[in-house]
Amino acid sequence: MRNSFQLNNSKMVKKIALALVTLLCVAIVGFPLLWMALSSLKPPTELFKSPPSIFPSHISFEWYREAFSDTTVLHYFANSFLVATGTTILVIIMATLGAYSLTRFRYFGRKAITMAVLSAYCIPPIMLMIPLYRIVATLNLNSSLFGVIIGHTTVTFPFAIWLLISFFRSIPREIEEAALVNGASDFVVFYKIILPLCIPGVLSTGILVFILSWNEYLLSSVLISQDTMKTLTVGLANYISSTEINWGVIMALGTATTIPIVIMFSAIQKYFVEGLTAGSVKG
Amino acid sequence: MASGEQLSLESTGRREKVFFNFYTRRKLLGIIFILPTILFLAVFIVYPVVSNLVLSFTNAKLVKPEFNFVGFENYIKLFSNKMFLKYSWNTVVWTVFSVAGQLVLGLALAVLINRQIRGGTFLRSFLLIPYVVPAVVIALITKWIFNGDYGIASKWLQDFGWIDYKQSPLAMFGGAMAVMIVINIWRSYPFPMLIYWAALKGINQEIYEAADVDGASKLQSFWYITLPQLRNTTIVLIILRIVWTATYFDLIWMVTGGGPAGSTTHLPIMIYQSSFGTFQIGYASAISILLGIVLFICIFYYVRKSGDFAD
Repeated sequence: MRNSFQLNNSKMVKKIALALVTLLCVAIVGFPLLWMALSSLKPPTELFKSPPSIFPSHISFEWYREAFSDTTVLHYFANSFLVATGTTILVIIMATLGAYSLTRFRYFGRKAITMAVLSAYCIPPIMLMIPLYRIVATLNLNSSLFGVIIGHTTVTFPFAIWLLISFFRSIPREIEEAALVNGASDFVVFYKIILPLCIPGVLSTGILVFILSWNEYLLSSVLISQDTMKTLTVGLANYISSTEINWGVIMALGTATTIPIVIMFSAIQKYFVEGLTAGSVKG
Repeated sequence: MASGEQLSLESTGRREKVFFNFYTRRKLLGIIFILPTILFLAVFIVYPVVSNLVLSFTNAKLVKPEFNFVGFENYIKLFSNKMFLKYSWNTVVWTVFSVAGQLVLGLALAVLINRQIRGGTFLRSFLLIPYVVPAVVIALITKWIFNGDYGIASKWLQDFGWIDYKQSPLAMFGGAMAVMIVINIWRSYPFPMLIYWAALKGINQEIYEAADVDGASKLQSFWYITLPQLRNTTIVLIILRIVWTATYFDLIWMVTGGGPAGSTTHLPIMIYQSSFGTFQIGYASAISILLGIVLFICIFYYVRKSGDFAD
């Protein structure tokens, strides 16, 4: 009796310790983002108080009003949205076809191409920066959003095809084989059987590409010269490197940039976890 | 393909003709589907890498279209540049501490989310958030919380007496790099966490039960079972993270711009400054190539290790 009570007690201690550790982790991860959101809601007089107060005395949307009354900011949001959408469409069309081909067909060089995709996934943007700049400049695309779309496609495509390969692998081949045996053509198999089964995977890969494109900074900053064509990340980066930083507006814009991304990611997170843990790294 | 298919296709005379072309047709279709991928990789990945290599032997300028081949001049110039050595060293410091930090934190959190606890799925989702926070947002938060006058983290450090009143660690020689590494660990632990978590789930639970029966403590189990089982995962993660961290430009650039006095300048920033600061893209390409050689060895090893999944 006494023994089991002691056991329960030490179990209890362990449970509490675990809960505390968990809470600490949540706090450390959440704090910077929460602090940004809280700062953006503070009235101007409170934002620069020393020592800073944790919570705003009352919630003020003053900074948001100021941030979004600037039409340049609206341009940035629109540009980022257009670039991310264009990139997503381009990447998904190519990557779905490519991944389907690599997982379902047999031909000479298939393995080599799979390896090449994996290698491409590891090539960092900083090494592609100068040649991409030259390509885009030669094509005269550096005053339109197409240049940035090309850049973003380059850095997200290998990752997308890689995720999709692992999604396609998880779909049993027997289903299509049965259809092929029964006389369905390859196109019918692709559109009627494979695509519906893959919609969750393709959709979540698409959203991930959208997020990566929305977040991208280096190529966006290099491939666009005109101010009205700049994306959100480039615009924000210019704001924080200026000498007179308008902190309240910056915090509001940062929060507004992050929230849609976090919501989108939460929606596809399950597929992302499955895709990444199934295929990308095998020990 | 299954042999049953042949049977059903051979059963009628009309279909026999179809069967005759079946493999050729499928092969052709497969190649058509992969063609955009091949073309894209050739133009936007292979060509840039080759072009980098070629440019590194020229005196090309960003704004001038014509250039001459100068042999190894760029490389000689680099190795006689004292700053190159310093920036390389910064790259090593940045990479080693960032990678070590994110792997240790990633593993610790993977162990945490691998336990069956209430709200475990929510916890996992929450801990993944830094993976998608834009670098520019992390940069602006960093600048804000480490601001010398109003930053809350600076305030804490000032209260501890580690830095002077109104001072920011971002303006200090060692401090700036330390802050950047900590922030980078915060940004990048989710990937190792996820991969470690998957690997933990893959370990056969019977080994733990056997160890438990033999009287091994939790810590012993972790040290003698978990860690050895994670060895391959760790190697792959180290390689991948070295490649991505050593070439990661955005965060440091936006927070410190490489300062103060070059103390946080690493090779990616040096590449950027040579390209868009002084427009010497030949010289910048040479830095790229030198950084790349080290990384290509890593990539090659990773692809060899991870690529033999093929069925």
